[in-house]
Amino acid sequence: MRGGLVRGGLVSGGLVRDGLNLEQRYRRVLRLLPGYYRDLWEEDMVAAFLDSRLTGDPEDDVAILEFCKPSLPEVGSVAGLAVRLYLGGAGAPRRYFAWGQAVRYAALAVTLLQSVRGLDVLVRTAWSRHVFGWLPAPPAGIAVGTPTGILPPAAWYFVAYAWIVSFVALVLGHYRTAQVIAALAIVPDLVWLLQGQFTGALPAMPLGPWAFWVLLNLTPVLAMTAFHRDAPPAARRPWLLALPAAYLLVAVPPMALEATGNSAWVPDFSGLYCVLVALACLAHAPRAWSRKAAGSGVWSLTLTLLAADVGAYRIFSLYDYWHDPHLIAVSLAELLILAVAVALVAPDSARAPTAMPAPPPHPGYAG
Amino acid sequence: MTGQAFFVLTALAEGPRHGYGIVREVAELSQGRVNLKIGGLYGVLDRLAAEGLIEPDREEAHDGRLRRYYRLTRDGRRALAEEAELRAATARVVRARLGVAGAEAAW
Repeated sequence: MRGGLVRGGLVSGGLVRDGLNLEQRYRRVLRLLPGYYRDLWEEDMVAAFLDSRLTGDPEDDVAILEFCKPSLPEVGSVAGLAVRLYLGGAGAPRRYFAWGQAVRYAALAVTLLQSVRGLDVLVRTAWSRHVFGWLPAPPAGIAVGTPTGILPPAAWYFVAYAWIVSFVALVLGHYRTAQVIAALAIVPDLVWLLQGQFTGALPAMPLGPWAFWVLLNLTPVLAMTAFHRDAPPAARRPWLLALPAAYLLVAVPPMALEATGNSAWVPDFSGLYCVLVALACLAHAPRAWSRKAAGSGVWSLTLTLLAADVGAYRIFSLYDYWHDPHLIAVSLAELLILAVAVALVAPDSARAPTAMPAPPPHPGYAG
Repeated sequence: MTGQAFFVLTALAEGPRHGYGIVREVAELSQGRVNLKIGGLYGVLDRLAAEGLIEPDREEAHDGRLRRYYRLTRDGRRALAEEAELRAATARVVRARLGVAGAEAAW
């Protein structure tokens, strides 16, 4: 009978023999959810799930319980719920709200850095095409170069501008639009990496480029998942003003160095990002130490996450400099500065769960 | 209000239902277009409960498991009525612009 049920397709969703029954397998999936949520909803979810799978026929149900496992869409729905709960928004327990806010701020910060790169491409392109009539012709080093490969230059310009659009969309609350645009923006880099890998255009172990793609392209796209329906909106004015401010602070000095023939002083991306995060940690340290500033713990947690991200990128990109002891020494110095700076704020991260209560659920957010 | 929340509230409009009962009702109401998974259903239910639009009604034993039933609150009924009116008004405008006779409520 059971064999007939299985062959007949009644027992669907995958067959397993792991010594567990369907209920136990589903409870294992539910472990993805935070404990407080399971306490409230687990029994209910299990009952609803089994209702959805069992037929009421004792023999069929024995087979279903023994052989079936939760389907992938079912597991996916629980995983999606888990992400929303761990990266909490309005109405979430403080701990999860703090993590949610920290990941949202970190995603905004990395997207901001990517947007600054995009703005840099925009300005350099405009300057090299004499759009700014009042400026003298740009030095040769200012021109924008695009990577070689199967992708046309237009694809790389799209990447640069897409990050700006994604950042603005994120700040304005168009979360899914921002995530889709950012997801599209990281594709050309991936194509370039894969092409370089398969054609031998890249070194055998291109850790730096891959680390950049994973840590500064893919990670912010994934982190945008924290901008779900319950997420409180970002503070528009400060974040929008941060774009031109960050451009002046981050992109203009290297361009000035290049324009004056001092390119050797321009750090690479990983070094620049290490220094930027270290400076942000130093600027935040007085608030972190005061233990009075509301919300400082969330910003400390944000900076710790950013330091982990750019620090990992710095470490992986060391491999590209293995041939040059001077560059290795500079890179290690950048890592040391970052480590010391983040050590000043990291202890304050522990206060994040108690620093900021989540706002109550917004009446208009239903479902 | 999202489409899923709208259907869940509509499913509870006629009376209390348990989790899977809501899933079935939503599938029927939406003519199969909305098939809630259990994780998705409880993502909607916990939000609606937090906003005071639904509340637990009772628990019943079924095959050795407890089924928890949910019902609309007064606020939930009012929110559903307002949303239905909004959607019906929108549908009337669309139908009028399309020149479709009989401006009825549509989802």
